[in-house]
Amino acid sequence: MPALAFSLVILFTFAPILWLLKPHRSPSFAWLAVLPPAVITAWQALQLPAVAQGNFIAERYVWAPTLGLELALRLDGLALFFGLIITGVGACIAFYTAYYFEGDPRQGFFYLVLYGFMASMLGLVWADDLLTLFVFWEGTSITSYLLIAFKSDYKGATEGARRALIVTTAGGLAMLAGMVLLGLHVGSFHISEILAAPDIAAASITPIALVLIFLGAFTKSAQFPFQFWLPGAMAAPTPASAYLHSATMVKAGVFLLARLHPAFSELPLWFWTLFLVGGFTMVLGGVSAIRYTDMKALLAYATVAVLGTLVMLLAFREEYAYEAFVVTVLAHALYKAPLFLSTGIVDHAMGTRDLRRLANLARIMPLVAVTVVLAALSMSGVIPTMGFLAKELMLEQGFQRIEHGDGLVGGLMYAASTLAALFMAGAIFTLTWEAFFRRQPDEQPAHLHHAPSLGFVAPALLLTLLGTLGAFFTGAYENLLFAPTIAAISGEPISLKLKLWHGLTPVFLTSLAVLALGIGIFALRNRVRQAFARVPEKFSSLAVYDATVEAIYHFAYRLTTVIQGSPMAPQVSVTLLAGVAVMVYALFFPSPRTSVLLDSLEIPSLAEWLIFALAILGALATVRARSRLSAIISLGVVGITVTLFFIVFGAPDLALTQLLIEVLTVILLVLVFFRVRPDPFVEIDKRRAFRIFVAIAMGFFGFTVVMVNHFAQIGESISPYFLENSSSLGKGTNVVNVILVDFRGYDTLGEITVLGLAALGGYALLRSPQIHKLRRRIVAARSASEDGAHPVSSIKQEAAEMGHD
Amino acid sequence: MIEIYLRLVDKILTPVILLIAIFLFLRGHDLPGGGFIAGLVAASAIELTILARGTQATRDRYGPLAVPLAGAGLTIAVGAALLGMYNGGFFRSIWLEFYVGEEKLKLGTPQLFDLGVMLVVIGMAITYLLRLGEAAEAAVAQQSRLSSQTKEPHR
Repeated sequence: MPALAFSLVILFTFAPILWLLKPHRSPSFAWLAVLPPAVITAWQALQLPAVAQGNFIAERYVWAPTLGLELALRLDGLALFFGLIITGVGACIAFYTAYYFEGDPRQGFFYLVLYGFMASMLGLVWADDLLTLFVFWEGTSITSYLLIAFKSDYKGATEGARRALIVTTAGGLAMLAGMVLLGLHVGSFHISEILAAPDIAAASITPIALVLIFLGAFTKSAQFPFQFWLPGAMAAPTPASAYLHSATMVKAGVFLLARLHPAFSELPLWFWTLFLVGGFTMVLGGVSAIRYTDMKALLAYATVAVLGTLVMLLAFREEYAYEAFVVTVLAHALYKAPLFLSTGIVDHAMGTRDLRRLANLARIMPLVAVTVVLAALSMSGVIPTMGFLAKELMLEQGFQRIEHGDGLVGGLMYAASTLAALFMAGAIFTLTWEAFFRRQPDEQPAHLHHAPSLGFVAPALLLTLLGTLGAFFTGAYENLLFAPTIAAISGEPISLKLKLWHGLTPVFLTSLAVLALGIGIFALRNRVRQAFARVPEKFSSLAVYDATVEAIYHFAYRLTTVIQGSPMAPQVSVTLLAGVAVMVYALFFPSPRTSVLLDSLEIPSLAEWLIFALAILGALATVRARSRLSAIISLGVVGITVTLFFIVFGAPDLALTQLLIEVLTVILLVLVFFRVRPDPFVEIDKRRAFRIFVAIAMGFFGFTVVMVNHFAQIGESISPYFLENSSSLGKGTNVVNVILVDFRGYDTLGEITVLGLAALGGYALLRSPQIHKLRRRIVAARSASEDGAHPVSSIKQEAAEMGHD
Repeated sequence: MIEIYLRLVDKILTPVILLIAIFLFLRGHDLPGGGFIAGLVAASAIELTILARGTQATRDRYGPLAVPLAGAGLTIAVGAALLGMYNGGFFRSIWLEFYVGEEKLKLGTPQLFDLGVMLVVIGMAITYLLRLGEAAEAAVAQQSRLSSQTKEPHR
């Protein structure tokens, strides 16, 4: 049974159904919405034993066989591990959303995007083809953009969303280039084949491909210096933030690195890049989290820290690092999602999530307080939680390195991990204490709007309890869930024995010290915040990014004013000269295979001579015309003579198209210019010589290029193929049409996509407020002038402003 | 005065032009015509309406159709290509042949694709013809304002 594809189809089709059902009208909707991800989670859980045995499920759907495109899915340990987290947490988020957007008409649309995102994410981790993975990867970028920009009336949301989109898609493009390099080198885009390819790590293209893929993974997973988009993405509605930043979107980059780990991890490039970038990101995110009083921003920086940790752990090829990786991924999903969800509940109930205005919430919402405390314990790594286990394993990895004589790497790792961990502990203690337990807030206290219902809290509580209990019963599932994942990352089967209690080892003592120092930071939290407030903003990568974007806009503006800011004629000159330059290049640097066959020159017939003459006459008349209108009409004559050429040479379709375009443009130009009173049609003699030069150069080189193209043929002509097969393969006798819609359908699809986008662009232009304002003024001016009164005097000003913008 | 004639012409000719567009579209696979040309013919009908009735009335009549038409066209084109998956791959054509009396008729996914092309062309044409028409009207309004403001005669 094609269960994998079926799951994706269910999610994709369920999305619009949820939307159409108008869920905000029915309160019990949560149960329906939770169904698809819950079912897929259950199905995946049933696959655990088989996958743990080393089996996997693979499905392939051919898309375009001649191009080698297909949808390839493969469920192995790693895919299953991430898939379970995606749908499992996704089910909780879907349930939560029903309460978060209760009665809000946008709820349906949120479900639509959320499910689209979930399906993309699931496809991404299940993909067994680099191109399939890329398509789903971009799918998550686009749907996450919609999720972040969901509150589109709030400026921060659209800005944050655009930033996230630009950064992640730019990285995605670099990644695509890297993937293509890899795929072409191996001769297959299947991930399983690339990983199995011999000597792939030693190939000459590998360093370039890896760096490009790193760019994709690092931008997606918010690694330094790209981490700045993640806090900006906190403008998303809380369920989206909880989902994107605990379990899914940002884990995509980490997932990709884990996926490629078996083939490339032996390279020094791999180790040092991941180790340094991940380690630095971990420290940066961990240390700066406490600075923020917005609960979501604090959690966002903590997320950056965890992502750094995961990337750093993937640098290693040792067992402790693998164990730390999988435990951290699971622990993070199970504590960060509840923390975000609780933040959303607080925001919902109190109207704010600013710590300065919150206090003593434990009394109002005890269940939320329980959730947050349990999650916070896991996040800060207090014994005996899953977070503690993760931290212990990570420190153990560093310790092992030191013991084996690699003091530099081990020591760096040990120091960075403890530094990040103690600041994170301080940050989350601060959040928990200030929001839930202290008596008085710093500033004007927020008031309770309405207390959260049980269903609202339930998903967060469920996830936390899973995370808390999970730490005690690792023996029950470690070889089902963790071992196959590690086997997929490392490339070798493994058997696990995780223990919460290792005895009084140096690592355990370090953990205790981290906790003690974390409490110290918590005690000094106001001092720490003040110290942070003194760090200037302009060194942040956000400032660098904003400056870069600003510079690009500025450059584009300057370039546009130079090229297009002037009257029409110089603009056309620039365009035509650029064309001439290209043609000169094409003529004088031809490819070596061209052979000029000048022998097939024919003498034109009388009719053709006549049309030539007509065309030249029309062109001359255009140039000599004394008014715009006559210039337009004689230009039309030139066009129509071209139509005649097509008729003479037996191309009725081209003739029809040309004729229609000609008629449409002439009428349109007449429409524009006939109504506008003619400006004085002055000759500007100053540039006359230059313009004549441009015109002659264009005509001469255009003619030459056409001639050379006609007579110099590379390879065999493909026209006979079309003529012969049009009616047998294409079932049509109009060869032009058969080529357009069948033989070269891809071309046409591309063209009409451009046309469709152009229509959309024109539509957007028409809807822009400035045009509307102008149109209103025009109507006002017209009615005013009809009344004989003075018309509104600001139209010109308005038009001038528009020109400037 | 011109506009009154044009309105009559518009009333009579627009349906005829649209019928011609359909005719050109239907015969397109075997004889000169096809989706692109049919779309342009339909666009000329819209241009006639703009000439006869001005942009405002035309926008009221066709404006809301523009983007949905382009979107539907793209969807239909992709859908036609997707149907080919049934026949072994993206863009593989599928043809149905049947008889109505003595006449043999055929229907295929390439024609469906062609329909998509036509709709996109019409959608694009509506958007831009209206946009340009409005720009022209704006220029006219601005000029009439300028000329009524300045006392000195136009050079």
